[in-house]
Amino acid sequence: MMTGSVSTFADVALNFGAPAVRGDSVLRVAASRGRRTVMYGDDTWIRLFPGLWSEYDGTTSFFVTDYTEVDNNVTRHLDKVLAPDEKKQPKFDLLVLHYLGLDHIGHLEGARSTKIKPKLVEMDEIVKKIYVAMQKWDRNGILIVCGDHGMRDAGGHGGSTPAEVLVPLVVIKSQDFECPHPLGPGPTVAQVDVAPTISWLLNAPPPGDSTGRILPSLLPADTRQHLYLLHIIAERMAKQNDLPTDKEFYKQFERAENQFAHYLATGQQSAAKISKEFYEQSLAEMTEYLNGTTVDFDMFSIVVAIILLYFIVASLLCVTLYSLQPDHSRKHSTTKRGYQSSNAGRIVAFLFMLCLSGSGLIVACFITETKSQLCSFNGLWLPVLLVVAAAFTITYFIMKTGIERIKNLSSLNELNAIDFLLIGGTVFHAWSFFGTSFIEEEHMTWYFFWNTFMFFVLIRSIVVVVMYWSKKMTGATEVQEKPGLDEKMSAVGISIVPKWVLLIALHRYLRTMNQTGDRWLFLPDTADWLNEPENSLYLELHVIIGTIMTVLICVHNLVYTNNLMYIHTALTAAAATCTFCYRVATHAVHAPFEDMKTWDPIIIVSVFWGILMAQFIYEIITYVGFFKSCGVHPAEHAMNSKKFDYVKPKTKTEDYIYDPTIEEPWNVEEVKLNLARSLSHLMLNNMMLVILLLMRPHNVVMVPSVYITCVVSSKCVDHKLLDRRSARNTDVADVLSRTLVHMWIGILFFFYQGNSNSLASVDLGSGYVGLREYSPVRVATRMGLHAYAGPALAGAVLFCTLAAEARDWQQYLKSIWRATNILALHRVYAVVLYTVIATIFRHHLFVWSVFSPKLLYDFVATVFGVQALATIGYIIFLTHVTSWLARVLITRSGLR
Amino acid sequence: MFAFNTQLELRRITISSLITCIYLPSIVTVISYRGSLYYVGKGSSFYILVLIFIAELLKSFYLSAPNDIQGKKGKTSKTKASDVLKSFVFLLGVNFCFFIGIILFGAPVLDLHEETLMLSTLLTILTIFPLILHSGVECSMQLLFGVKSFARDTVVEMLVNNAMLTVCGAWLGAVVIPLDWNTPWQQWPIPCYLGAIGGYLLANVLTVFKATLMTAAYKYPAVNFLVMILNKLRVSK
Repeated sequence: MMTGSVSTFADVALNFGAPAVRGDSVLRVAASRGRRTVMYGDDTWIRLFPGLWSEYDGTTSFFVTDYTEVDNNVTRHLDKVLAPDEKKQPKFDLLVLHYLGLDHIGHLEGARSTKIKPKLVEMDEIVKKIYVAMQKWDRNGILIVCGDHGMRDAGGHGGSTPAEVLVPLVVIKSQDFECPHPLGPGPTVAQVDVAPTISWLLNAPPPGDSTGRILPSLLPADTRQHLYLLHIIAERMAKQNDLPTDKEFYKQFERAENQFAHYLATGQQSAAKISKEFYEQSLAEMTEYLNGTTVDFDMFSIVVAIILLYFIVASLLCVTLYSLQPDHSRKHSTTKRGYQSSNAGRIVAFLFMLCLSGSGLIVACFITETKSQLCSFNGLWLPVLLVVAAAFTITYFIMKTGIERIKNLSSLNELNAIDFLLIGGTVFHAWSFFGTSFIEEEHMTWYFFWNTFMFFVLIRSIVVVVMYWSKKMTGATEVQEKPGLDEKMSAVGISIVPKWVLLIALHRYLRTMNQTGDRWLFLPDTADWLNEPENSLYLELHVIIGTIMTVLICVHNLVYTNNLMYIHTALTAAAATCTFCYRVATHAVHAPFEDMKTWDPIIIVSVFWGILMAQFIYEIITYVGFFKSCGVHPAEHAMNSKKFDYVKPKTKTEDYIYDPTIEEPWNVEEVKLNLARSLSHLMLNNMMLVILLLMRPHNVVMVPSVYITCVVSSKCVDHKLLDRRSARNTDVADVLSRTLVHMWIGILFFFYQGNSNSLASVDLGSGYVGLREYSPVRVATRMGLHAYAGPALAGAVLFCTLAAEARDWQQYLKSIWRATNILALHRVYAVVLYTVIATIFRHHLFVWSVFSPKLLYDFVATVFGVQALATIGYIIFLTHVTSWLARVLITRSGLR
Repeated sequence: MFAFNTQLELRRITISSLITCIYLPSIVTVISYRGSLYYVGKGSSFYILVLIFIAELLKSFYLSAPNDIQGKKGKTSKTKASDVLKSFVFLLGVNFCFFIGIILFGAPVLDLHEETLMLSTLLTILTIFPLILHSGVECSMQLLFGVKSFARDTVVEMLVNNAMLTVCGAWLGAVVIPLDWNTPWQQWPIPCYLGAIGGYLLANVLTVFKATLMTAAYKYPAVNFLVMILNKLRVSK
C-alpha cells in the first residue's frame, strides 16, 4: 500500500519475515522532503520502514490473544499529538494509526464474536475525536480510514474472497470538501492508488514503483491543476522502462498531451474536457497493463530447479525400490560388488560427470540467452552453479547404482488391491492439482480416497471374518490343520468388523467437525454448534473425553518404556493434569474448584514442559544404569515386565571384563531396540500431550482419534490377515502399506482439524499457548505443530508401531529405512509436481489466492518432513550413545 | 468372464442384458424430456423405481423360466408365500444397510433423508434384488459373503458383476459433487443416482459385447484373443 506497486505470488512466502522495504515508498519521499511522520500501532510498520519515522511507538502485532492493550497503546498518544501548537498547526504531516484489536478478535473469535461491537464503537469514537481535532486546525486535514485486509466469517484472512480482499475506504476532509460520488457505496478503487494520493497530499512526488493514480475524489476542483496532476502521473507512468510505445494507450496519452497543450494555449474548456478524458482512459489502461506485467520470473532458474527436483525424485525412487528388495538378494548384490572399479576410478568418473553437467548448464545458459542471475557467473552465483551441477551429478550416480542393483522386486508381488488403491491414490492426488478447485478443495480428494479405502477394508474384513466362521462352522479340516490361521484370526478377532464400522462412524462425525476448503466454508459445522454458549456442556464433554482417552493411550504406551516404580505413569498423569488445569484456567472447562480458574495458564504450561523434559531424561538415565549406583536395582522390575533383558549385562559383566574376545556377550542389540522402542513411544506420548494442550477445545477429540485410527487400520492392512500360505514374507508389503496408510491418516486429520490450503485457516491463537510475550521461534514452532498435528502424530505412531513390531535391531533399522524412503519420495514427488503446476499457471488469475498459499504449505510440510526424519535419526543416534554410555558405566563398576 | 455352459444360457443372458440396455436408457430419456431429471431424488419420482422393479422382475422370470420347466415346480410354488415374505424382509434389511452405509460414507446426516432413501432403494433394486430373484435369500446371502463360489453359474456371475459395477458407478458419481461447476445436477444425490444407473448399464453393455464376441468366436477363432483380453480385465476384482 505504501509503495504503490504490485507484488508477485512468491511474495506470500517471503513476506513473513517482513524485512525492510528497500525500494521507494511514500515514507521515503516524505522523509526526503523533510515531512514529519508519526506512527502509532503495529510495529510491522517500523520494521518495514526503519529510520523513516520522526516519532513512533510500536506495539507487537503478533501477540494475538490481547485485545485491549494494543489499542490503548495507540489511543494514549492521541490527545497529545492531535492538540495543535500555538500557530494552530498540527504537529505532524502524516500520522499513521494502526489499531490491532479488531484484527485480533477476528483471528481468535471469528466475525460473530460479541466483542466486535464494542470495539467498533470504540473505533467510531476515535474517528470522531480525530475529526473534532482536525476542525481546530488552521489547515485542511484529511483523514483516510481503511482496513489493510478484510476478514472471513471464521476470522482468518489471506484468501481472495470478496469479503477478504475488498475493504472500505473512507476519506474525510475537514474543510471545503464535496464528495463527488453519490450516497451509498462508492466506486471501487485499486489499492495502488493510495500511495500516490498520500504523497501528492504531502507535496511530494509519487513513489518510484507506483503504478496507481490519484483518488478521483481528492483531485482539485481547478481544471488547470487537475489536468496538470493527471499529466504528471501519466507521464511518469508512460516513461516506465517496459512500457511499449506502440500500444493504443500510449497514443491516447500523446493525444491527451496535445489537447492539454492546446488548452493551455487557448483556454478552451472543450479541449480540457477531451484531454481529461484521454488522460483518464490512458491512465486506466496503463495501470492495468503495468499491473499485468510487473510479475517477472527468472524462468531459467525455475526450470533448472524443477529439472533438479525431478532428478532427485528419480533417484529417490531408485533408492526406495532398492530398499524394498527382500533381504537376501540385497546381501547377494552387495557381496558381488567386488569386481567394481577402484575408488580412484570412481572419483574420476564423478569429476567427469561433474564437468559434463556443469558445461551442460553453461551451454544451456548461452543457448537460451537468459538474463537469469544463475548465469551471471559472478561472485555469489558461481558457487550456486557449481552446487547445482554437483547435485545433478550425485543424483545421476545414485540413479545409476540404483538401477544396477535393483534385481529382485518379488516382494512387491504381495501387494493386494488395497495397496494398489493406496499407491494409485497417492500418485493421482499430486496430478489432481492441475485443477484449481482441486487445490482449494483438496480435503474432498482425501475424504473420497479415505472413504474408498474404508469401503475396501470393510468388504475385505467382512469377507475374511465370514469365510473364517463358515469354515469353522462347517468344520473344514483346513482350520485344524493350520493352527497358525486360527491364532491369527483370534488375534485380530471377529471384533474387527464392528470396530471398523465404529471407526467409519467416528470419521463421519469428525468430518462434520470443521468445514474447510473454500466453497462450503460458510456452512455451519459441529464446531460452530459446540462453541455456542448454550452448548458449552457438550464442548466440555468433548474436552474431557479427549483428554481422558489420550491419557489412557499414553499410559497404555508406557508398557514399552522402562516404567520403573511407576514414575512414568505418575509423570504422565501429572502432565495430563497440567493440560486439564490449563483448560480450566482458560475457561474452556468449568471446574468445581473456584481458585483453579485464577491460576496462571503460563505457569501451568511451564510446569508441563518441565514434566515432559523430566520424563525423557529419566528414561535415558534408567537405560544407562545410573540408578544402580544409587542402590536402586532396575533388575527386578525389568524382570517382572519381561520387556527388558537389561539384567543380563549385570550377570555377565564379569565375562565381559575377563574375556574381551567375545565382543558383546550381552544383548546390546536388544537393549538398543528396547531403548528405541521406549524413546519413540515417549516421543509419541509427549507429542500427544503437547498437541492436546495446543488444540482448540472442540478439536481435542482429534488426538486420541488419530491414534485409534492408526492402530485399527494398520491392523486391517496387515497382509497376513487370514492367509493360507503363512510362510509368505510380507514384511516389505506391510511396511509399504502401513507407511502410506499413516500418511493418508495424517493428511486426513490435517483437514479434519479445519486446515485448508488457504492462509486464512492458519490458527494464530495456538502459537501463544503459555507464552507471555512474542518470540518468533517458539510461536512458529507451536503454530506449525498445531497445524501439522495430524501428520506429526500419524508419523510418530508409524515409527512406534515399526519399533514395537520389529523382531530385532537389524529389522527395525531396515523397516525404518524403508518407511523414511517412502515418505521422502512422496514428499519430493508432491513438491516437484506442484512446482511444475505452479510454474505453468504462474499467470493464472488465482495465483495469489490458491497457488502461492499451497506452495507455502508444501514448503512447510517439507521442512517438517525433514525435521521428522531428523528426529528418527536422532533417536537412533541416542540409542547408540546410550548403549555406549551404559557400557562405559558397567565397565567402570566392574573394575571397581 | 463366462465359462459358457450352454449355448442356451448364453443366449438368455444376452437377451436379458439387451433388454436392460434398451429399457434403462429409454426411462432416463423419458424423464429427462419430462424435465424431471433433477428431481430423481424426490419421493415424487418413486415411479421410476417401480418401473425398474417391474422390469427386473420380468427379466428374472425370463431368466429362470426354463429352470421351472425342468421340474421342482411344485416345490417352489409350495414355499412361495413364505419365500416372498422372507425376501421382502431381507430386501428391507439390505435397503437399511445401504442407507446407513451411504450416510456413513458422507451423505448428509440430519436432512435429505428422502433423497438418501431413494438412492439406497435404487441400489438395492439394481444389486441385490436380481440375485434374490434368481437364487433365493439364503443362497444370495452366501454369495454376498463369498462363502459360496459362483464360478460355475454364469447367470449368477453376470448378476454379481452387475452389482459390483453399479456400486462402483454410484461411488464414482460422487466425484463430481464437490467440483465448482455450479450446475443444477450436482445436487445430492443426482450424480450418485445416475452413476448407479450408468454403472448398471455399462455392466449390461459389457455382457452383451462379451456374449456377442463369444458367439462370434465359434465361427472365427481369431476373436478368442479379444475374449481373453476381456477376461483378463475382469480377473482383477
